[in-house]
Amino acid sequence: MATEEIGETKASSSLLTAMREKLALKPMWEKLTWTWKPETKREAGDAIVRNFLLHWFPAKVSLESLSWGYSFWLGTISAVLFLILTITGGILMFLYVPSVERAYLSVKDLEFSTSYGWFLRGLHRISAHLMVAVVFLHMVRVFLTGAFKNGRKAVGQNRPLNWIVGVALLLITLLLSFTGYLLPWDQLAYWAITVGTNIASSAPVFGDPTRFILLGGTTIEQATLIRFYVLHCFLLPLATFGLVSYHMWRVRKDGGLACTEKRYEEAKKQEQPAIASKTYSLLGITGGSAVDVQNVMIDDEKDKVPSSPYMTVRLAVVTLATLFISILLTLLVRAPLEEAANPAVTPNPAKAPWYFLWLQELVTITTFTVGGITINGALIGGIILPGVLVAAAVLWPYFDKSPVSSIGKWLPKERKWQNRIFLFIVAAILILTFIGTYMRGHSGRSICRGRNGNRRRENSDRARRAIRDV
Amino acid sequence: MFSKDAIKLYVLGLSLLVLTAFVFFRENTTDWRDYQAEFRDLVTEKFGAERAEQIPTGVQQIWVKDLDRVDRCVTCHQAVEWKGLETAPNPYRTHPKGILEKHPLTAYGCTSCHGGQGFSTTLPDAHGNVEHWEEPVLGQEVSEAYLIKNSKALMEMNCNACHRYDRETKGMDYINTAKNLVEEKDCRACHTINGRGGIIGPDLTFEGEKPTEQFDYGRLTGRHAVFAWQVAHFQNPKMVSPDSIMPNFGFSSQDAQALALLVMSWRKEQIPAHYISGVQLRDVPTPEEIAREKEMLEGDGAFFVQNKCFVCHSVSSLGVNSAAKIGPDLSDAVVDVQNRFGRTLDDFLMEPTGTMSVVLATQIPLTTEQRHQAIALLKVAYQRKLEQQIKSASPSPTPTGK
Ligand code: HEM
Repeated sequence: MATEEIGETKASSSLLTAMREKLALKPMWEKLTWTWKPETKREAGDAIVRNFLLHWFPAKVSLESLSWGYSFWLGTISAVLFLILTITGGILMFLYVPSVERAYLSVKDLEFSTSYGWFLRGLHRISAHLMVAVVFLHMVRVFLTGAFKNGRKAVGQNRPLNWIVGVALLLITLLLSFTGYLLPWDQLAYWAITVGTNIASSAPVFGDPTRFILLGGTTIEQATLIRFYVLHCFLLPLATFGLVSYHMWRVRKDGGLACTEKRYEEAKKQEQPAIASKTYSLLGITGGSAVDVQNVMIDDEKDKVPSSPYMTVRLAVVTLATLFISILLTLLVRAPLEEAANPAVTPNPAKAPWYFLWLQELVTITTFTVGGITINGALIGGIILPGVLVAAAVLWPYFDKSPVSSIGKWLPKERKWQNRIFLFIVAAILILTFIGTYMRGHSGRSICRGRNGNRRRENSDRARRAIRDV
Repeated sequence: MFSKDAIKLYVLGLSLLVLTAFVFFRENTTDWRDYQAEFRDLVTEKFGAERAEQIPTGVQQIWVKDLDRVDRCVTCHQAVEWKGLETAPNPYRTHPKGILEKHPLTAYGCTSCHGGQGFSTTLPDAHGNVEHWEEPVLGQEVSEAYLIKNSKALMEMNCNACHRYDRETKGMDYINTAKNLVEEKDCRACHTINGRGGIIGPDLTFEGEKPTEQFDYGRLTGRHAVFAWQVAHFQNPKMVSPDSIMPNFGFSSQDAQALALLVMSWRKEQIPAHYISGVQLRDVPTPEEIAREKEMLEGDGAFFVQNKCFVCHSVSSLGVNSAAKIGPDLSDAVVDVQNRFGRTLDDFLMEPTGTMSVVLATQIPLTTEQRHQAIALLKVAYQRKLEQQIKSASPSPTPTGK
């Protein structure tokens, strides 16, 4: 009996070892780390596919996709900024109180008495501004490289859809920033949101109800603050996270970045026609055939490098560089905090957040009187024009008829007119933003800087009360 | 490509480390640390190392929940409540004592009187002479800028937040002068102030709330600030506001300053009622109640009113009427006690039982002499009652208990 028992234990322990070897269970630590210096191809591949953090990357990537000059890594930078925002924002949630009585005071506390509070707030604020800018630039780069277009007829490729996901991400990024803008509950916040939401109310029929729902009433009060807070800290980040994940998944499903289309074009030009090879379907679960099956024969290995370490290191460089610039700016630019929100005192000028100033300018420009009839600029400039722009962005890939050979290349001849129109719109937005930011003083009239004191002085007019100089 | 990237990575990593050091440096080199160190040196020198050991370090604050104020001034002004540093240089000086006795730090903080930005832990922000902070410390600097002789005068504006209903407050000379002027010149002839006055001019109850944006500084020479406008306006209303029909009272510049401080103190400050001087936190008796009590005090039953017996008992035959009537009317106590307790009134009052034993032992401690007085009076009361009954020609004069 005793010997039998021993025998059994022995057998089961060797079975366990065997199982462990078979499954190659790695300790947790090894699932989160990887080697930079793989000795073998297998080790390089394992660093990606058997790593919890990296498994969603391809094992090998083309050199073009990794180049600085094609994508400028702007999408990655957006993602890193989003990560910084999530971490700093998570900590800020422990310190900020979303009530009209306490919000402003809790931000003052962050600035003056919470350890590193100024840093957290500053970094969060700078990263938020940067994210709006970088996401916009990412869109510009994607447009100018025609990366919203499908290339070879591969199953499952749908770059236009990813472009639309991108448009949604841009809008959500703006909303995230806009909702966050209110939270400090100072004059800057209060009046920026007043101007912003007043534009919304100028839409016909559903304008006022929209504003009512957004504000939780007719005035910006506690109901507004808690709405914006929940949107800012929960719903919008969740939506961003979901959409970014899908965005990334799509990039892989679309067969990698658009710049890789070139290799198929080149291969096609060179020789053999496509080989109708075997068709796989995933046990009938998905329709159609798998990617890359009906394919031109190309040397898939050519110009490709293992993702680890080539991509991972570059990823780390981009991450650290983004962090570096954000922290540097945090140290250089002090996050503003004005007087506590005061509905009775309208600052002059009351301005929307900078990334909406081009809209505010459009509203001003499109408000004019002809023969006693005043044209409502808020409707044209604030609703119709931006609405048309978003709709155009969504539909653009479906009207683009430029040849496949122009995909994934910067400013190709074939897309000259498209790019000119696009750049014209971008320039207009930038110029209007510039005018709105730097050239608007009192009463919406543009002011002449340098004469009778500069803009700083004009701004401080509204700030000081009672005993203070004006 | 890889090795180039790796070098970039190392360089960036190092730069980030340096940057992090900067963040750490900025967090840990604030001027309040220097002030605290200097204070410790001062105390060591004056009172020895042992006292210096006891000084708290780190950000200090006074949190006054009732006033919703957090004042971190004491982070640098650590000597506020110390003895023996009355002549030390600021911020290490002891606060003048008298005023703190009536206005303890824990109940008032610092900024409710001095102004300034209590949250702040850096000097310029704390003293409030910065953009986006509207209440600077009311001291020498601001006083000089506005040519006010007494550098404490500006603070009276804040004192008056709680003392606004006082006619006169010790130590508030400017505001007292101004309050006198309001009566003397009868400002209420035209203006309503605190719910009383005329309607020819605007209501001034919350004049101090008017934001600077609502003033027209167009005709003002000199500083463009509310205070300057108010002073100029008091000295010559038509000069700053040509359409004004307010008469020119020819106020001296000091009187004009006093009046400016007064009207600017009339703000909608949210202050709990128990902070406000002159506001009574008790049920005030109605005039009728007061008149009735006075009348009863003058009658024969005054004893029962003075000693508060009348809270529960009427002594109707002596003109004492209890509002509550919790106990029986004592007009016929002489017979009533006999009926209820089987003892004489004299006996009962000397050694009461039941409710009265508790009341007389705790709430109304009468001396033996007073008890004799009460007994005598109650006998008179009974006599009076009998007489009244006879006088009213009642068919049944027989006294009966209840
Ligand atoms: C939160 C915002 C966004 C994040 C985090 C993000 C992230 C990324 C990343 C990491 C890539 C890989 C290539 C690169 O780094 O450039 C990418 C590609 C792409 N993004 Fe975005 N993106 C965002 C917003 C947008 C927007 C606003 C658009 C367009 C309206 C867009 C459209 C695309 C498209 C079409 C690609 C494929 C590009 C190609 O194939 O060359 N994305 N995105």
